[in-house]
Amino acid sequence: MSTSLINDWGEWLPRLWDGLLVSLQVTGLSLVLGFVIGLGFALLSSAGSGLVRWPAILLVEIGRGMPALVMLQLVYFGLPGVGITFDAFPATVVALTLTTAAYTSEIIRAGLRAVPAGELEAADALGLSHVDAMRFVVIPQGLRIALPTLMGFAILIFQVSALAYSLGLPELLGQAYSIGAATFRYLDVLVLAGLLYLAITIPASWLVDRLERRLSKHLG
Amino acid sequence: MTEPLTSPARPILSIEGLSKQFGDHTAVDDVSLDVRPGEVVAIIGPSGSGKSTLLRCINLLESPTTGRITVGGIPTEVDGKVSQRELVALRRKVGMVFQSFNLFPHLTVLRNISLPQERVLGRSRAEADARSMALLEQVGLASKASSHPPRCSGGQQQRVAIARALALDPSVMLFDEPTSALDPELGLEVLSVMRQLADEGMTMIVVTHEIHFASDVADRLIVMADGRIIEQGDPKTVIDDPQVERTRTFLSAIRDR
Amino acid sequence: MDHLGVVLGGVPTTLLVTATCFGVGAVLGLVLVTGRRSGSVVVRGLSRTIIDLLRGIPPIVFLFIVFFGIGSGAIRLSPFVAAVIGLGLISAAHLAEIYRGSLLAVHRGQFEAAQALGLGRVTTYTRVVGPQAVRVAIPGMVTWAISLLKDSALVSTIGVAEIMSVTNQDARSSGSSLTPFVIAAAIYIALGSPLAYLSRYLERKLSLKGAR
Repeated sequence: MSTSLINDWGEWLPRLWDGLLVSLQVTGLSLVLGFVIGLGFALLSSAGSGLVRWPAILLVEIGRGMPALVMLQLVYFGLPGVGITFDAFPATVVALTLTTAAYTSEIIRAGLRAVPAGELEAADALGLSHVDAMRFVVIPQGLRIALPTLMGFAILIFQVSALAYSLGLPELLGQAYSIGAATFRYLDVLVLAGLLYLAITIPASWLVDRLERRLSKHLG
Repeated sequence: MTEPLTSPARPILSIEGLSKQFGDHTAVDDVSLDVRPGEVVAIIGPSGSGKSTLLRCINLLESPTTGRITVGGIPTEVDGKVSQRELVALRRKVGMVFQSFNLFPHLTVLRNISLPQERVLGRSRAEADARSMALLEQVGLASKASSHPPRCSGGQQQRVAIARALALDPSVMLFDEPTSALDPELGLEVLSVMRQLADEGMTMIVVTHEIHFASDVADRLIVMADGRIIEQGDPKTVIDDPQVERTRTFLSAIRDR
Repeated sequence: MDHLGVVLGGVPTTLLVTATCFGVGAVLGLVLVTGRRSGSVVVRGLSRTIIDLLRGIPPIVFLFIVFFGIGSGAIRLSPFVAAVIGLGLISAAHLAEIYRGSLLAVHRGQFEAAQALGLGRVTTYTRVVGPQAVRVAIPGMVTWAISLLKDSALVSTIGVAEIMSVTNQDARSSGSSLTPFVIAAAIYIALGSPLAYLSRYLERKLSLKGAR
């Protein structure tokens, strides 16, 4: 029985591998796009003017408050209702980008706030402009402080990408589910898919832990 | 150092009627003070006496409630809103050294000193770096140029902070308890840099608890309490023979420590 | 069409799934954190592996393993039971890590003082370290409850009739497809924001009290 399981796994692996690549693609794209938007929102939501700050904070809270599954289905099944139609792949990227933007905005904002006030005072006392102080002092350090949390979030988004199976995207879980439906060997194929996810997430979280420890030593 | 447009007789820094309110609390109460070029003024006083707030008002890190600050003959009225341009103009002429150093930990020691020169004075990188290296030489830290601040001792960081402020060629240097966060032996290396600076003719205002430094280096000692100057004069005279009861109590309290 | 009424109909089930999974996770999390701090290397390694696996696998994949993999074979699991097992175990792993972090936050000196006073291991945990750790753990636990509320949307995929599930049906059966999703999003935000507020409030209040 165990040899047949290994044979089956060997047979399924190429399809799951293709699925994994799709998972990694949507994750990577969403992270890059979402991070850029998130940085913008982090700056807007730390702005001095309430007129800029509050709308930004509101949008971020909406993005963080709704489940990623709702975001995905809203984009894929909901937006066609108002004439905006996406294929599964772009729909997934749009939804995960928005989710990433909302979460990373909050993570970066916390990082920016963690930069000691004394350094801003020093920048002021040296006569640096506000823009220069943000650009040379606050943003580089804020991003560094936020880095471990951002990487932890990247792992989370990789996990969340599995939800795109519900849009019919042939990513890792989608592939596993359709093999399961065809063979009725759900447990075997899902466990294999789970192991593939773990093969990415567990080493990645070790890396994050190590990075966190190294950075806290440097900045401490 | 160059001091154009200012004759030795005229004060390089003049504070008139400066007050700072925090809600109901008056932290600085109608303080006036003239500082001559090259003069070293030490300010002492119990905690909460307003000495740090006064210092922070001089370069507008705190905006004073009322008063006028004149640096190098250019007055800034601080009653109303101070414009961004006035603010930068004033801060350019006034250097500040903080109790907690406030170096930028992600930049090397050299970048800490060069970056403000490039951004504020528009110096080229090469120009700025040359000036930075000369100053690092002066504070005895040329070998630390490419280190990051967290890798330096507190005393070294504070000397870098002094160099960073000097690099912008200020007319006046403010020191806010520069040795309070340091172990005594590390404080000494900072004090020796400050002493050297005083000898070279830098105008300095130093808020400090170091009574020996005040007595040896300062030209004038100011005692503050409750936001006011309660006594001032030649440091040795004030220390040996204080005229005001509160000065006497304060001096004996810090001597007993 | 009364989209709001339909979608609101899923709220009780969402809350029930969230609360049950949280309860299961809170208790099993204690077991896992005890294992994680055990004197035995084997128990410690095993607990750590379980925690890492449960945290590393996407929740939806674990839910499918429980429902389609295990629950459709020899044992039959109802969607609700599968949901509680799946999200309950994942919660246990996350809460165990939160407990562990809060125990680490209690100063070593507290353990040493308790030992020096001759207090036993159990008394040390229940009377000295535990109460201090709980204070540190509570904001993190509330944050996990918010995540769990949102993750409960996943159980729609195995047929539990909560918010997401009734939203999908409504969207399919009615002509307008955007409205139900927008309503669902609003409901999740409305359910989550008091918890988010509570978490922030507790964090501020407890950290002030805990400060020396």
